Amino acid sequence: MATTRPASQNEGTVRVRSFVAPGLLSAAIAIFAILLGLPGLAGGLAQDWFDLGSRAFGAWALIAALAIWGGAGAARKVEGRSWAGAVGSGLLAGLAHALVMAAVTWGLGSLIEAGADIRHWLVQLTPDAIGLLTLGRAAWQAALVLGLSLLCASFAGTMLSYASRRYTWREHISGWLQRLGDRLAESPPAQLLGKARWARSALLVIGLVILLAAPPFLGRYWSNTLGTVGIYVMLGLGLNVVVGMAGLLDLGYAAFFAIGGYTVALLTAPQPYGIELDFWVVLPIGIVLAAAAGVLLGIPVLRMRGDYLAIVTLGFGEIIRLLLKSDALTPYTGGPQGVLAVGGPSVFGYDLTSQMSFLYFIILGIILVAFITTRIRSSRVGRAWMAMREDEDVAEAMGIHTLKYKLLAFAVGAAFAGLGGVIYASRNKYAGPEDFNLLVSVNVLCLVIIGGMGSIPGVVMGAIVLKGLPEVLRELDDYRMLAFGALLIVMMILRPEGLWPSKRIRMELSGASEPPEVPDSASEGRP
Amino acid sequence: MSDNPTQSRPKRSFSPARLVRPIIGVVVVAFVAWRLWGVVYVEGAYGPETWARFAISGLILGGVYAVVALGYTLVYGILFMINFAHGDVMMLGAFAGYFTLEALDGSGLLNRSVGWSLASIVIAFLVGMGIGLVAAVLLERLAYRPLRNAPRLVPLISAIGASLFLENAAQLVFGTARHAYANPDIMQRSAGWTLMVGGQEVLLTYTGALTFVLSIVLMGGLYLLVKRTKMGKAMRAVAEDKETAALMGIDVNQVIARAFAISGALAGAAGVMWGLHIGIIYHYVGFIPGIKAFTAAVLGGIGNVPGAMLGGLTLGMLEALGPAALGLPYQLKDVVAFSILVLVLIFRPTGLLGEVLTEKKM
Repeated sequence: MATTRPASQNEGTVRVRSFVAPGLLSAAIAIFAILLGLPGLAGGLAQDWFDLGSRAFGAWALIAALAIWGGAGAARKVEGRSWAGAVGSGLLAGLAHALVMAAVTWGLGSLIEAGADIRHWLVQLTPDAIGLLTLGRAAWQAALVLGLSLLCASFAGTMLSYASRRYTWREHISGWLQRLGDRLAESPPAQLLGKARWARSALLVIGLVILLAAPPFLGRYWSNTLGTVGIYVMLGLGLNVVVGMAGLLDLGYAAFFAIGGYTVALLTAPQPYGIELDFWVVLPIGIVLAAAAGVLLGIPVLRMRGDYLAIVTLGFGEIIRLLLKSDALTPYTGGPQGVLAVGGPSVFGYDLTSQMSFLYFIILGIILVAFITTRIRSSRVGRAWMAMREDEDVAEAMGIHTLKYKLLAFAVGAAFAGLGGVIYASRNKYAGPEDFNLLVSVNVLCLVIIGGMGSIPGVVMGAIVLKGLPEVLRELDDYRMLAFGALLIVMMILRPEGLWPSKRIRMELSGASEPPEVPDSASEGRP
Repeated sequence: MSDNPTQSRPKRSFSPARLVRPIIGVVVVAFVAWRLWGVVYVEGAYGPETWARFAISGLILGGVYAVVALGYTLVYGILFMINFAHGDVMMLGAFAGYFTLEALDGSGLLNRSVGWSLASIVIAFLVGMGIGLVAAVLLERLAYRPLRNAPRLVPLISAIGASLFLENAAQLVFGTARHAYANPDIMQRSAGWTLMVGGQEVLLTYTGALTFVLSIVLMGGLYLLVKRTKMGKAMRAVAEDKETAALMGIDVNQVIARAFAISGALAGAAGVMWGLHIGIIYHYVGFIPGIKAFTAAVLGGIGNVPGAMLGGLTLGMLEALGPAALGLPYQLKDVVAFSILVLVLIFRPTGLLGEVLTEKKM
């Protein structure tokens, strides 16, 4: 703050800037959204869901929503309780936003009118996508209409946001939600679940029965989709042991998945070796090989900490994939084409290779993996892992042989990945190098982190959100990885413990020191 | 922490885990010696001109890796965090240079005269560096600064998220097609000086020479900046101890933002070099060079500016000469690079020139 300038004038410029900035920021985000093709996506979704006549409604709604958000941002900068200030700030933010957006619309519209092929450089800016903004009118008309509507939208955003602050609507609503939540938590079913063990077990059993009864009624598409989600749940549970419980960041997890997959592929397929062993023989081999690879990789690298470990495992995963893919090893691994006609399981001569039977297989695998994980977690080993995750030096000082427990974590995680890989390759009847690329590792890591590190229901939830939703919403497929990336950053900033964190991590992050009601529940749970 | 803790420890019982490092070492050395013997003495597969070609391409690539590695090392030295999205900042710089050259080409300025051609290249570099700078500063502001005091894993995951976001945003905005850089006519990728090595012609392209010279200039400039200027002094102070630096009146946030700005500008320059020299860019172009530059930074000793230069050039040479010297197919050059990364981290995690990091920094 320069002292030579009159204070009032200085204040004035600062305030104007603080009102214009949210408008410009939201305009920049809107331009980015247009470059990404989001208006077209929103338009398509809105058209499907609400049976609208045109995609333009959804597209305009998205852009207007951004304008409203920008206006609301300006309202937060208003000092005092004057409506005049709110109106002024709303007009300033709205003008800034609308001018930029109108200029962009005019520019894009006239480029299209001139017949320029923008799509050659910026692929989302097709004449069709720009038509959604201009509604097929001349560029200057479209710019005028869009600018005026966005000015109104942004102004409305400011007014609404200011009014909600002025009349404390927000406090009313959040208080009401709070009371609703409290009442739900006090309701008899919730109390029962919170206190009584048998009620929780009963719920689990009911869930299992539904899960096991459902597959025959699902049909091919849903069996396939749920199977994919299930395999990712299995992988997530495995990585959860490594990252969530032991705190070792592994970015090469797909390598173990690949080892499982390629084991079953090479040992059961007619090409390239022609060994054609039975699936049930290969299954344990695959799991053991993956676990052995985990130990072999682990011994040299586990002395490193944190981010070094992440990079080494990433390098290892890439080495495995590049080797599998290379032409030099094609006679041994099938090369870039992968291995075809991978064998599937059969019992007493019955072929069990339908999507439905694989779904059962996957569900059984998940139950097994989840059971092992819960048992390990509450054992001495699990406590050692968690101690190591919190502070390696202290854990070592307490007499925990950290290298041994790290290796164990690596081996367990790798074994689960091996199981997942065997089922995956056998289900697809194919194993190829690109099935096991870095994206798989990153996907699994994302679902563990977004679900909640160290938590089993969190992993299931993460897998459903990250693998299930995009399968169902096919339109969103192109935007899935983009959303993951943004979600990872946002989660790390707002909710690093994940959607459904484990009790222990939640406690650590909320700073509560007392243990959960262990002594009480034992006595009060029984009637 | 400076004395060796293993000496005071009581003798442990024999553990097979201790044998692993020596075994890996012997196996690697034996493999390399066997392949070298086979390729160089027994087969004599390549003449001197081929080795010269490999060495030239290795030096040029090494220069690019070194420039990217400087960005990693600068950020790591100050924040102890791997900026996973650094390679993607390079990709953004490459695209910025691409659009600049396309625009200049479209307006006919690119090949109007020799002066215009040279000016176009300068403009492309400036735009690429500017975009890289802005991207890196925004990245720091939005994805890393809110996590400054979080546990180590948290900013790393955020960085992975940023990398995914940038790659996929670029894929959506620019498409999956591969774009060819519009080099000016005097700087075509096939044009250059012809050197005579062992009676054979070896081509040193103009773009390669430009890339190498520019990378040396950038490295030297950064070295002087860190060692000789007040800003560099502030950076070193913050790298040493953030709290004390703040007490000495250094604006820590500003210093970190500047470190990101410099690393982003370097990555942007590397992106334009990549485009001019290699010629093909796409949304994923930053990933492999990013990982390799990180390898280079680790090889030289992460956090160490001369180390990053040395590591970059070494890695480039090893990657270019390695597959040929070991008699492996050229397709496996990335395997060679990643193996070097794994081996360096196993045997000498502090790198060639690295200081012995204290536990806190590791």
